[in-house]
This record gives sequence, C-alpha cells and structure tokens, in this order.
Amino acid sequence: MVNINKSRGPSRDWLLGAADIEDGCRSVSVGGLAAELGMLSSGTTRIKPAFGRLIEFARRNQGLTVEKLAERADVDLAAILEIETDDRAVPEERTVYQLAQALCLPQAKLMELAGLATPKPETSRAALKFAARSEPASKLTRDEREAFEEFVKVLDESSDGA
Amino acid sequence: MSSEVVQLQRRLDGVFVEAALLGGMVPNDFVLVGNEWSAERSVVMQELLQSTLPRQQWPQSLHWDWRRKAPELRLLEAAGFGIVCERQWQGVMLTKSASYVAKLAPDKGKPLVYVDFLEVAPWNWAIPEVGGSGRFRSVGSSLLWRAVEQSEEEGFRGRVGLHSLPQSEVFYERVFGMTPLNRDSAKQNLLYMELSADQAAKLLEKGK
Repeated sequence: MVNINKSRGPSRDWLLGAADIEDGCRSVSVGGLAAELGMLSSGTTRIKPAFGRLIEFARRNQGLTVEKLAERADVDLAAILEIETDDRAVPEERTVYQLAQALCLPQAKLMELAGLATPKPETSRAALKFAARSEPASKLTRDEREAFEEFVKVLDESSDGA
Repeated sequence: MSSEVVQLQRRLDGVFVEAALLGGMVPNDFVLVGNEWSAERSVVMQELLQSTLPRQQWPQSLHWDWRRKAPELRLLEAAGFGIVCERQWQGVMLTKSASYVAKLAPDKGKPLVYVDFLEVAPWNWAIPEVGGSGRFRSVGSSLLWRAVEQSEEEGFRGRVGLHSLPQSEVFYERVFGMTPLNRDSAKQNLLYMELSADQAAKLLEKGK
C-alpha cells in the first residue's frame, strides 16, 4: 500500500542552485556499495596501478580496442574498463586468467599484480618501476614501450624461475 | 511504501515537474532499478569509449549494479528511497540509521543517518562531451535532502554522514555544507563527510 503525502522537499530556488553544482559532478554518487561488494580493494596496494596499466598497454600494444579484448578474452567490457580506469578495482580470478590467456601474459604474475595473490618482492619492484615510467595515454611512447617490454620480460623471467 | 511529491527540473524546457519520492523500497525494487539502468550504462559506456574524454573524468559509478545491493535492504536499519518520474527510477538512495554515530564535534558520538549508497540514473548524468545533458536536474540533491529529513524524523536532528566518491565531494560540501573529515582507509580512502545538527538546521532554513 502506498501512502501519499503532500508535497515536500526544498524550494525551487534552492534546487536550481543545487542543480548547477550537481551538473558539474557528472554523476552524484555516494560510495559504500563498491567497497562492500569487493568491487574495490579494501586498501589500495602499491602495485595496483601497474596491473591496470599493464593490461591497457598490452592491449594497445597488440592493437586491440577494449571491445576486441573483451571479445577475445570472453570477459565483460565493464570489467576491463574498471581494471584499466580504477586502480582500486579487484577483478575476479576468472577475469585475470582470461586476460592472461588473451594477452599472452604470465597468469600467476598477473594474479599477484591484481591483488589476488601475495606479490613476490621482484614483482613489486618491477611493477613500481613500470608504474613510475608510464602514464595512461592514447599511444605508447617509446619510453613507455620500453618500460612495458622490460616489465613483461621481468614477469616472464620470474615466472620461469617460480 | 510511502510516497511524497517532490519537484525535478526537466532540462529540455526548464520546467519543474512533479515526481514521487518513494520510501520503504524492498529488495526487488533494487533489482528493478538495476535492470532498468544497466542498458543505459552500456550505452553511456560505449559513447565514452568512442569519445576523447579522459577516463579520469568518466562517471565514477559507471560500473555499479544495484541488483547486488538488494540484500542490504533486508537489514532492519536499512531504508531505501527512490524518485520515480515518467514511470522510471530517476535516482535511488540507501540509508542506515542504527549503527553509525557522528564524528564531528560537538555532536561526536550521537546517532546519525548514514547514506550508504546514492546514485542518479545514468540518463540524468551530465556528460556534455558525449552529448549527454541529463533529462532531469537536481535528483541527487532531492535524495540527500530526504536523508536529512529522515534524520530529523528519527530524532537525530538532521545529522548525516557519508563516504563520497571523489567526483561528488564538492557537491556535498558546497550544496549541503557538509564538513569533510578524513580519508577512510576502510572505505578505499573515500572522503568521509558529515552534516552536523547545526549545519542541518541552517540547510533546512536556507532551502525552504
């Protein structure tokens, strides 16, 4: 049963002023959901930025759009977007596994970078170095490409020895 | 379920239209909201992908899913509010009111209404870079105003607390006069903000 009350709420003048500021925020939102559902990590780890950037760089290095990667890896578009744009994202294990397969990256190391496994010191060091040398951009610069290739090499080497 | 009449401004012609602010939402309502909004989220996502807008400027709730929040409504302290206009959910809010207390002096330790989750429908997002101007304005403002009223109804004198996503921090501070307190490591370093009883009184007076 719905009980209908009389009109209430703030005045139109107040609403107009509020709306002007609200418009500037794109999406007015309050956190909490993402946190409690594990969509974000309980604390941003220091190597998290390297994970999203690595996925983005590997994708671009192979000339893939986000849609193409989603299709190739059989992963939701939204999941890839979240990984690439939100350093605090905690992807599902299946997503990381599928991305590792699709991008030819070492699965175990990717799990460490994603925060799904305890990172080994050499992974952390390489990730920090990589993150420090790279910035999200539309095209890989020469320095970024070198950083990317060096990072993948370190991941490959440490995977071989594991 | 209760219903109150609130006003939203239709962006197309600037006219204020009446909308229903519903209280007492049940879990299935959140499922319906999630279903209703998911297709539009995908559209916005595709438009953003084809735009040159830096990802840091994309709506930060783009990937949220209300269906996954539905079980929360079974908690006794939880309350769901939603605004319906033109037969669609225009914005939704989940509050909790039993286990949260104020951190801001002089109300420290006193109960408050905690806004656990609030989001405006994707078609109301103002993203001019992809041609999205938003259909209705002030949806978020009307919802949070309702949280302040809920706090008064529960005897909490308008005290409200919330963790804001970064894009919305300026909104809660400037529109509602909330005080930013601290980055909360237990909530992904989101900024915890609070409205004191005095601030609530000023807000309600100013907004009459």
